[in-house]
Amino acid sequence: MSAPHYPAGTVRALLPTAHVSEATRAALQARLDAPAAYAPQFFAPETFALLEAVAARLFPQPDRPDRPIALAPAVDQRLAEGRADGWRYDLLPPDREAFRLGLGGLQETSQALFLNDFGRLDDQQQGHVLRAIAAGHPPGAAWQTLHAGRFFEDLLAELTETYYAHPLAQEEIGYAGMADLPAWTKIGLNEKEDREIPAGE
Amino acid sequence: MPDEEVLEEGLLTPTEPAVQDPLLRELLADAPGAVPQEKAQPAPAPPAEVDCVVVGLGAGGAPLLARLARAGLKVVALEAGPWHNPAQEFATDEKAQDFLFWNDERLAAGADPLAMGKNNSGTGVGGSTLHYTAYTPRPLPSDLHLRRDFGQGEDWPLSYDDLVPYYEEVEQFLGISGPTPYPWGPARAKGYPLGPLPLNSAAQLMVRGAEKVGIRTAPAANAALSARYYQEGVGWREACTNRGFCQAGCSNGAKASMDVTYIPLAVKYGADIRPNSFVTEIERDARGHVAAVVYTQHGQAHRQPCRHLFLCAGSVETPRLLLLNELALSSGQVGRNLMAHPGVQVWGTFEDEVRPHKGIPGGLISQDTHRPADADFVGGYLLQSIGVMPVTFAGQVARGRKLWGQELRDYMRRYNHIAGINILGDCLPHPDNYLELSDELDARQLPKPRLHFSAQENERRMNAHAERLMRRIWEAAGATDVWAFGRYAHVIGTARMGRSGDDAVVDRDGRAFEVPNLYICDNSTFPSALSVNPALTIMALSLRTADKFLERQR
Repeated sequence: MSAPHYPAGTVRALLPTAHVSEATRAALQARLDAPAAYAPQFFAPETFALLEAVAARLFPQPDRPDRPIALAPAVDQRLAEGRADGWRYDLLPPDREAFRLGLGGLQETSQALFLNDFGRLDDQQQGHVLRAIAAGHPPGAAWQTLHAGRFFEDLLAELTETYYAHPLAQEEIGYAGMADLPAWTKIGLNEKEDREIPAGE
Repeated sequence: MPDEEVLEEGLLTPTEPAVQDPLLRELLADAPGAVPQEKAQPAPAPPAEVDCVVVGLGAGGAPLLARLARAGLKVVALEAGPWHNPAQEFATDEKAQDFLFWNDERLAAGADPLAMGKNNSGTGVGGSTLHYTAYTPRPLPSDLHLRRDFGQGEDWPLSYDDLVPYYEEVEQFLGISGPTPYPWGPARAKGYPLGPLPLNSAAQLMVRGAEKVGIRTAPAANAALSARYYQEGVGWREACTNRGFCQAGCSNGAKASMDVTYIPLAVKYGADIRPNSFVTEIERDARGHVAAVVYTQHGQAHRQPCRHLFLCAGSVETPRLLLLNELALSSGQVGRNLMAHPGVQVWGTFEDEVRPHKGIPGGLISQDTHRPADADFVGGYLLQSIGVMPVTFAGQVARGRKLWGQELRDYMRRYNHIAGINILGDCLPHPDNYLELSDELDARQLPKPRLHFSAQENERRMNAHAERLMRRIWEAAGATDVWAFGRYAHVIGTARMGRSGDDAVVDRDGRAFEVPNLYICDNSTFPSALSVNPALTIMALSLRTADKFLERQR
């Protein structure tokens, strides 16, 4: 089965309609309207740039060259406010420390493998660094104290959840669940309401 | 009960603006004696002793609160989270709904660390019923005597028959939608009050696959209304609109969370609900009995004297409160026997359009695997079709399938063609699995709880058996690209009930062996995990605990 292709604009077209509740619209519109420029509150500018580079490699968006869905600001805001999501792997240190260590470790691994900063590596080299960290045994002193595999997993999951919460990413996967008013009546196999995004050609 | 303890009708919480739910506001306005008082008194008298304080307003606290209030007792409920207005506040958006979860950090240790937060916790008036999936199967009778049958695990000090009247009462009150007759377990005096909810795509696919593999299925029992339903103390609740967002909060009251069922009933009978009230201390008198509860509300410390305390704060906060206050610890079992349901999921891609976010998530059930003939493990499990919201699914793909980059984006483009099934299975207690207080402090300057969990041989065998079977079902249904996501759901057993204070914290009525005016009711008291979702049993135990308590007071 080939992956279906969805026309752009559909979630954005649904948002102002009566199919979307006020609370739902407010949440999604805020993400669409987030300004492109973001000044980090928690990370130093160069560390934030590194996090952006990692996010760009974990979520390559060649289809959005001018305005990719921004993923790093959500991490920065969360750490600045000290918010948690209810749990943490016991073998990882508290989140702020884990990010400081982990992003430092990422540079160490980049240097150890390719004698350069992560941001200066090419696409293939960056992939190599990230795979080494995901696999759990990358070179670098930071990884002696930070569990590389779990750090990578947490980082990837946070960026992934931020990405797919964005209306444009939801458009990309053909998701129209936000337009649930007054009800879904066609819920079985191969059934859809007129307002749902068609499943491509 | 002495006369002066007769219920003061309409004694309402002084923090009236917290009552945001229009339905509740109406009820409060209708309650006799609840005519708005003059503005708050400048110097409130020290709080009078009440009959009962209930800590936590989820499935454990809410039903007993209503029961105690109906009996005329003066009852105060302390809930750590706020009182929401779902119709206006709840978005059909996973991230925006994060406030439903207990987001203070818990530490997950062991070989199979338990995800908490949205997976395993709740806060707010209604507790985790605000985001439970509404799946409400009864256990089968043999779930309650694993040790008798297998020589491993624990027996309950209660039988299925002890619980039947309460299951029936809860099912009728909440308006459970389900099949009658129910295909598994003993015959029932009463069927489900409403017919089953419509089957969504994942449920239809599971019917297709299970038929080919020879597994019987049925529409599942769900605490979401398949038609309008009238409830005492609540009024008419509207039918489910198939939003599929049960796990992120129901916005129209169709799902029987406690805030639209037992809590309005409790309010009708005069219960005093205090949201945003985080309990910090449990005071005792010279005999060691509970004398008062200290809590913080809106940054202010309050002290509420009480004759009896009901801890219903869930299987993490209940043992944490006991450990912090060094209360009822003599059995050595507080925090121990931590169990979690094996909940391995199997996902597949179908040619058909699925659109897995629509309809009740757990539409279809099979309990044919309750005691599989070819089992190499103790106990058993149920099978369930599952719907899924996109952000939750994407996070699982990242963690479980370890996809990232273009590969992840390509896979997620198939979202509308993906469906899943999972299990919910029994778990045996093990010495390596327990909750303790860590040295790390949270924002309230209290030690963070640390949960140790490592699946043992029995859980691993059960997961392997289930994964094989579910792969067969999914392949028979036409799935390709099938993969499994190992997970564990619900924290159980951290203050267990038993026959003696030597090896249990509470007795069969939920009363602490060591502290006679302390009761516990939530899934921390389960002696074994049961091979079904816990909410219905927690509610049944809650009503039973209230009845046994009231009998004792007479």
